[in-house]
Amino acid sequence: MIQVADLAKEYRSSDGRTVRAVQGISFTVAAGEIVGLLGANGAGKTTTMRMLATLLRPTSGTARVAGCDVLTDPVGVRRGMGYVSATTGVPERLTPRELLKSYGRLHGLDRETLDHRVAELSRVLDLGDFCERPCGRLSSGQRQRVSLARALVHDPPVLVLDEPTSALDVMGSRELLDFLEILRGQGHAILLSTHRLHEIERRCDRFLIIDGGRIVAAGDRESLVAGRDGGLEEAFFAAIAPGAGV
Amino acid sequence: MLLVARRDLVEFIRDRRALFITLLMPMAMYPVLALSSTLGVRTALAELEAKPPMQLTLALSGPDARGFARIIAELDGEAGRQRPGWPATLAITMVRGSEALALLDQGQADAWIDVRSGMLAGLEAEGTVPLEVKASLKRPTGRQVRELVDVVLRAVADRARTQRIAKAGLPASTLEPLRIIHMKGLDSTRTADRGALLSVLGAVLVLLALLMATGAFYPAIDAIAGEKERGTIETLLIAPCRATDLVTGKFLAVFVVTLATLAANALSIALTASVLLRLLPAGTDVGLPGRMAGLGCVGLTLVAYVGLAAVSAALCLAVTSASKSVKEAQNTLTPVMLLVSALAGSALVPGAADSRWLAALPFAGQVAVAKSAFAVATRPGTVEQGTIAMLAGSLAVSLMASAVLTWLLLRFTATLLTDEEILFRGPDTAATGLRRPARRRLPTVREGLATVAAGFAALWYSQGLGGDSFPRMLLAHQAVAVVLPLLLVTWWQRVDGRDAFSVRLPGGGGFTTALLAAVGGGCAGGGLFVLGAAALLAFKGTEMSPGMRVLAEQLLALVRDRPWWTSWLLMAVMPAVCEELLFRGWVLGAVAGERPARSRLVTANVVQAACFAAFHLLPERMPQTFVVGLFLGWAVLRTGSLLPAVVGHIAHNSMPLVLFRLANGSGSDTLSVESAAGLPGWSLAVAAVAVIVGAACLAATRPRPDMPA
Repeated sequence: MIQVADLAKEYRSSDGRTVRAVQGISFTVAAGEIVGLLGANGAGKTTTMRMLATLLRPTSGTARVAGCDVLTDPVGVRRGMGYVSATTGVPERLTPRELLKSYGRLHGLDRETLDHRVAELSRVLDLGDFCERPCGRLSSGQRQRVSLARALVHDPPVLVLDEPTSALDVMGSRELLDFLEILRGQGHAILLSTHRLHEIERRCDRFLIIDGGRIVAAGDRESLVAGRDGGLEEAFFAAIAPGAGV
Repeated sequence: MLLVARRDLVEFIRDRRALFITLLMPMAMYPVLALSSTLGVRTALAELEAKPPMQLTLALSGPDARGFARIIAELDGEAGRQRPGWPATLAITMVRGSEALALLDQGQADAWIDVRSGMLAGLEAEGTVPLEVKASLKRPTGRQVRELVDVVLRAVADRARTQRIAKAGLPASTLEPLRIIHMKGLDSTRTADRGALLSVLGAVLVLLALLMATGAFYPAIDAIAGEKERGTIETLLIAPCRATDLVTGKFLAVFVVTLATLAANALSIALTASVLLRLLPAGTDVGLPGRMAGLGCVGLTLVAYVGLAAVSAALCLAVTSASKSVKEAQNTLTPVMLLVSALAGSALVPGAADSRWLAALPFAGQVAVAKSAFAVATRPGTVEQGTIAMLAGSLAVSLMASAVLTWLLLRFTATLLTDEEILFRGPDTAATGLRRPARRRLPTVREGLATVAAGFAALWYSQGLGGDSFPRMLLAHQAVAVVLPLLLVTWWQRVDGRDAFSVRLPGGGGFTTALLAAVGGGCAGGGLFVLGAAALLAFKGTEMSPGMRVLAEQLLALVRDRPWWTSWLLMAVMPAVCEELLFRGWVLGAVAGERPARSRLVTANVVQAACFAAFHLLPERMPQTFVVGLFLGWAVLRTGSLLPAVVGHIAHNSMPLVLFRLANGSGSDTLSVESAAGLPGWSLAVAAVAVIVGAACLAATRPRPDMPA
């Protein structure tokens, strides 16, 4: 579902320096799999996800999402992917229902399918109480659920979620992650980044630890924590420590 | 595309504050404006009717001034007073020609007539005697003053005519084969001046254009900058469509709101005008066009303004697409709207509407097309087919230009919308250009041209600093328009003055090289003045624009009334040093940059010469100043030093002084271009040789090592 090979991104900073945000990373995410992308701030997580979402153009390398190349078929990528980031907002003067219908139509869904899909998402993500209220009056947790519903409205096979739980409380996070597990069961490929390692430790099938734009560790929980006291957090610190690497 | 447009429209319509400001506020504003202006018009009309006949003070100069004054005094005492419109009080002041302008500027005289030698004899003989009536350029001359002067001078002409008839042995009735008598009752309506109606219409058209453009202001800001601020732009950009489709959808939403603003404003204006006309004094005919012609004008205006609505919507989107927040977008768009106001207002400049290509200019074009239509419709008589075809052609050009500009702006917006740097950069970076950079050798192109722009603005404001004194005005111009902007920008941008102003000896240095360059510059500068003046005379003769004539008279007074060295410092040395620092130093260096290629040098030289020519404001001086600027720029590029340019400029500006001194020996009282008119043919040959020798001297100077040969 997601195939990334030697993907790199460089940009020029305001003082004229060339910054290598991502340096030739490769990984895959298969259908029915949740992969956690872990890294400190500035490690390259968001840049990687934005390249997959076709918001940034890779400097080199290739990436395919739902069978489409991000460079040659960006519209195809967008059709097959749902994307939510920590900075993603919702239009304040539209209601969640109007927002979902608007995006559904942009994805070419017919009226009947769209009505069915909106009703289903409202039920699953518990939007019913505030579905007719303007998004500007919703709490941050409610907005995040609306964002997720917006990313799912066209039922994409791939989900790219950049820190989706950052605005949620403990209950909200648990509900969202429970829902992601349901989606995995339905065969969706999910790439997820977060700083709350304990929340996803036992929910992701595999982890990619990124540091300085490179993947410094990869594998399932067991292989990463093997031989170390403590859980994923210790494995993460060990991976990003100076001198460490795959 | 339509889905994006619908989504944006729904969002905008639910923003009630923006909706009120955009659509409803203008509708509330027009009645208030109209009511206050109507009251003003009524008061002005009442005052006009109650106003007593005006006084007139004439300033006369010249050899025949006393005889001319005697004729006017005779007329004032007898038949003249019975003429309709004769001034209640007529005063005559005898002045010297050099004092007359100051007298006019101070308001001590209403008009000045230079009665040249032989004019009185000419009145008695056959033929037509030209007589120039001059008014102050600094004080507005009322129409009534002009009418009073015309009444007096017509009386003088009638007197001369009667004398000529008598001298020819013909009866006085020869001059009046028909007498028209208007019976009472035929003149019961007051007919307003057609020009006044057109002026008001022009102002309304500009207002309509601006208020319509403000209709695009809020929705455009909300459409892109608002989306970025709310964090929804990413969700739109990952929709399965192209960036151009997204931009077109957003454009359609902004365009619809702009059209709604146009409709609301047009309706308000129409309703307000109908109320306003009823408030005018009974019987006032404001010269409105007929019903069909009026409808045609309104239709043409609306069609032209639909094009303008598209341009406004696209322009606002393009300008705000680089902004990351609503505040940043407002800060960027506000000055653009001010510039647009100036552009729309430029259509009202007298004569501007005559330009065929004005219709293609956004904002000015649409106003000009609509104004032309109203001008045709309010003209008495039937409208010719050719005029209608001309109007249709202008409308087509305007619409075509609007469509092309809109398309280009939307393409530009789509590029900016997906620009990664703009999309994901940090907080507001709009103020980056105002930061003080590290110390460097040369200014950037932007800084070079911005200094000239600041100089232009300062030229305007410095006009009031000199008062009536020409020397003070010269000092104020150079200090405020040249030296002050240069000092401020050099300090703020930490530019090394020595490099930026080419303050170094020519070539590799050395006294001989410097002397050669200075002599070269001096010879060429002096020669170029004489050749330029001769060329101007050949093309235009001795006819001068009012501005040029005033300048020549002020220079003449300066040369005549002050010691030669004072005139020389003010006319030649000071402007040469200041302007060379700005144009051949700062601007040339900025545009050329460090280690430029030959093509960049040519561009830099042309740009600085064009700026230098434009800085002299008077169109007839521009060709000569452009050529001089090019030559002096080449001298600086060749030698790497400002020295030959300064010397050349001093020599150029000193020539009027030299010519005046030479001419003064022969009793002439004229200066500059007119002085050159009296030069013998051989002097042109000498000037040409001086330019060639000067160029040869400069060419012989060793070139600057870092410049291409």
